[in-house]
Amino acid sequence: MLWLVQIIGTVLAVGLAPLFVGVAQTVKARLQGRKGPSVLQGYWVLAKTWHKETTVPQYSSWVFRLAPSISLAALLVIAAMIPWGGTVPQAWPHNLLAVFFLLALERFWLGLAGMDSAGTFGGLGASRVTTLGTGIEPALLASFGILWVLSGHTSIQPIAPELERMTLGVLPWGLAALSYALVVLAEAGRLPVDNLDTHLELTMMHEATILEYNGRFLAESQLGIAIKLTAIIGLGWVWLGPQLGSPWANLGLRLVEVLISSAGLGWVESRFAKLRYFQVPTYLAMAAGIGMLAFYLVVSGGIT
Amino acid sequence: MLIVWVLVSGLIVSGFAFQRTLSTSLTLVLSLAILGIAVLGLWGAWTPALSGPELALTPLRSWFVLVLGVVAAMSSWYRFGYRQHDEAATAFWLPIFLVSMLGVMTAQTVWVFMTAWEVMAITSFFLVVSHHDRPGVIKAGFIYLVMSQLSAMAILSGFLLMAAQLHSMHFTVWAAEAKSLPLGMKSWIFGLLGLGFAIKSGVIPFHVWLPRAHPVAPAPVSSLMSGAMIKLGIFGIVQFLLIDLGTTNMVWPIVLLTAGAVSSLLGVLYALMEHDLKRLLAYHSIENIGIILLGLGVMDLGIDWHRPTLTVIGLVAALFHTLNHAIFKSQLFLAAGAVEQHTGTLDMEHLGGLVRTIPAVAIGFVMGSMAISALPPFNGFISEWLTFRGLLSIVSHSPALWGVFALGVALVLGLTGALAGMCFVKASGVIFLGQPRQQVKQAAVPKSMSWPILGLALASLGLGIFPGPMVRIIAGLEPGLSVHATMVLLPLHVLTLAVVLVAAAAGLALLSRFWEAREVPRWACGREAAPSMQFSSSSFTKAVRTTFAFIYQPHRNLARAGRYPRDFPARLVYRGGTTPTWERYLYRPGYRLAWTLSQYSTRIQAGPVRLYLSYLLVTIGIMLLALH
Repeated sequence: MLWLVQIIGTVLAVGLAPLFVGVAQTVKARLQGRKGPSVLQGYWVLAKTWHKETTVPQYSSWVFRLAPSISLAALLVIAAMIPWGGTVPQAWPHNLLAVFFLLALERFWLGLAGMDSAGTFGGLGASRVTTLGTGIEPALLASFGILWVLSGHTSIQPIAPELERMTLGVLPWGLAALSYALVVLAEAGRLPVDNLDTHLELTMMHEATILEYNGRFLAESQLGIAIKLTAIIGLGWVWLGPQLGSPWANLGLRLVEVLISSAGLGWVESRFAKLRYFQVPTYLAMAAGIGMLAFYLVVSGGIT
Repeated sequence: MLIVWVLVSGLIVSGFAFQRTLSTSLTLVLSLAILGIAVLGLWGAWTPALSGPELALTPLRSWFVLVLGVVAAMSSWYRFGYRQHDEAATAFWLPIFLVSMLGVMTAQTVWVFMTAWEVMAITSFFLVVSHHDRPGVIKAGFIYLVMSQLSAMAILSGFLLMAAQLHSMHFTVWAAEAKSLPLGMKSWIFGLLGLGFAIKSGVIPFHVWLPRAHPVAPAPVSSLMSGAMIKLGIFGIVQFLLIDLGTTNMVWPIVLLTAGAVSSLLGVLYALMEHDLKRLLAYHSIENIGIILLGLGVMDLGIDWHRPTLTVIGLVAALFHTLNHAIFKSQLFLAAGAVEQHTGTLDMEHLGGLVRTIPAVAIGFVMGSMAISALPPFNGFISEWLTFRGLLSIVSHSPALWGVFALGVALVLGLTGALAGMCFVKASGVIFLGQPRQQVKQAAVPKSMSWPILGLALASLGLGIFPGPMVRIIAGLEPGLSVHATMVLLPLHVLTLAVVLVAAAAGLALLSRFWEAREVPRWACGREAAPSMQFSSSSFTKAVRTTFAFIYQPHRNLARAGRYPRDFPARLVYRGGTTPTWERYLYRPGYRLAWTLSQYSTRIQAGPVRLYLSYLLVTIGIMLLALH
């Protein structure tokens, strides 16, 4: 039963990922007074790029050709580790730190691909994406700080039921959620940190690493970024959202929550301007600081 | 007795230094013998047969002998293909260096330990200065020698203090009785020994010798020093400070954790700014020693708080990372040696695209990069995960301030991991990927050099997928701790994770038909693309240099050169760099102070032998009076 929920949840999350991105884009377009593309545009783009001819730049090697597959594999495993039904089967990997390390794996291969494209933009993107990663990883750890102290272990599994019993008050939860939301924006390459819609060399980060990709490799990269967004928003709701009795209800609730968050993402993206690149470390340090503050409120208040 | 035979045979092997093939083969056999001793020691049943009054093997010592054996075997194999200047000197000192390290780890008395320690320091000095005709090598060697001697002095004082308290020079007596010493005395011993071992391991701020000595040594020697020798400091801390002394003042776990956090973060930050591959790797050794110290700090805290779970996690994390670092770091150093032999340079800014000319070395280097960046499914991931787990176990069920401290250290570790990943994207990318930046010579790299690298890479992968047996061995090293061993790795399901990950990646790669792609010119805004348009090592890390400017204190200088530099500069000369903070603000004043003091001492040194004899007499008189 749990296995079935987990498999169907993963398949749905992966399958609906382009839709969630499409929702965010549509909301953004409407708020900007445009009609915008269909919410299903992501699927059409994926189908189109997948069937186009695939080329690689001169001087690139097997690293360039394998990187999209390895990155996408890491993101698929992350999506499969999120407890969509509230809990995952015991025999299935369910560790929060493994999620961090898999995100690092994805970033590592994205960076290698950028360096292997042998052009200026690839190196530029690799440098920016990995620099961004140095801020994101500690901030992500800090935003989960409250979890470490409450659960006492690093497994995703029993976090949810245990947290259900905790009554911490609104403030620590709110701060932790804010910290996590700030990190999600940076990790998924969204405004105010990065803008996936632009291909101007001054601003692009993630897009610069995959600039030389097309065809099947580009489709893999685009699906990957959509899955990443879905998975990390879903992970946030696993510990912030309410837990229902049945796994199926939990799965449905998670998907609705991710859908609403995507709409919210569209709103955030149309409200905020992009930060200067050199202000991003400050932004991420702020996210880490808010996470630490939530953590401190819990450990000093004796609420354990 | 077996150990004595191996020690003696090391000296015999040295004698064949002038016959290249024979000497290399014998060194390989010697390394395999060391490996065999380690396996026998870990087996357990053989331990009594290996033990004597002066030299003995315990399970903990066997673990470190195993680390030495693995690195020694691979480095010796690698030497079949490695060409270097003055091979006979290296062939002479290397076996003695190997057996001296074995001696340090099996010594049972202060006398044997210090003798082996000094032999190790001296032989490694001679190995470091193998390329003594190159500029700067002798200076690097002397800095190393001075730091080695400081370390030996600190260790000897700590040992003598302990021996005076326990009225024994024998380590087995210490193991039994040192726990009952008063806390104040324990702190003195901890401080002195800790200082000595920290210098040998290259813990910041005692690290200055490490990024100087490792890069100038021949590649197999760098790999041995980084993989095995600096781990002897870790061995000393685990054996004498944590296990023998037992509970200590609560200051010491804080010191260990702080030193670990500082070393790991600053080590990787300095590594990021390096353009020389071997110096970069040397700074990463400092980083990894820091990560090992974090595990030891967790262990010490577990001992002091009497929480065996923490002790086990800390011990397993530290010792497993010790082996893992030995494997992937020697792999990377050997790959660096292959790059140097292939191109004649280690300066990254001149390299690029080597994946096409030395593909096996490139695969080994990328796998090593993934392992050292703690990425699944490699071994570095497991041990760094364990370190995180230890730190986060402190966070819960602890007083508030401890929790904040431990979370802060965990964040530093997270930052370190991300920076290491960035640094190795840079190293792999700039050296092996893209288009060659300059025309370099392309000497062949023989198979006997690439096979050890790939062998170590497979070991990294194997330990990353099947860490279970190793974790059980480590947790069983100290009796009484094994209870929780099986629980340590439980929530990770490493094997499932690795299999799913690899299967998904392979499936996607097949699905994307990665071999079917047409090569086209790359995009350079419509212009002709040139290799100099690629990102270089320094442009890659520009943002980090700006973000951490308070640590680097970067400076740059743009000068105009030519006949009329002000109005018609013929060319512009750009110089940029970072400030060597520790050297400038700690070591240079220390060096000046030592210089001044030694100038004062010349006043009482006039030269006549009678004067010195009278000094001796006066000293003995004062000592007799004081003891009376």
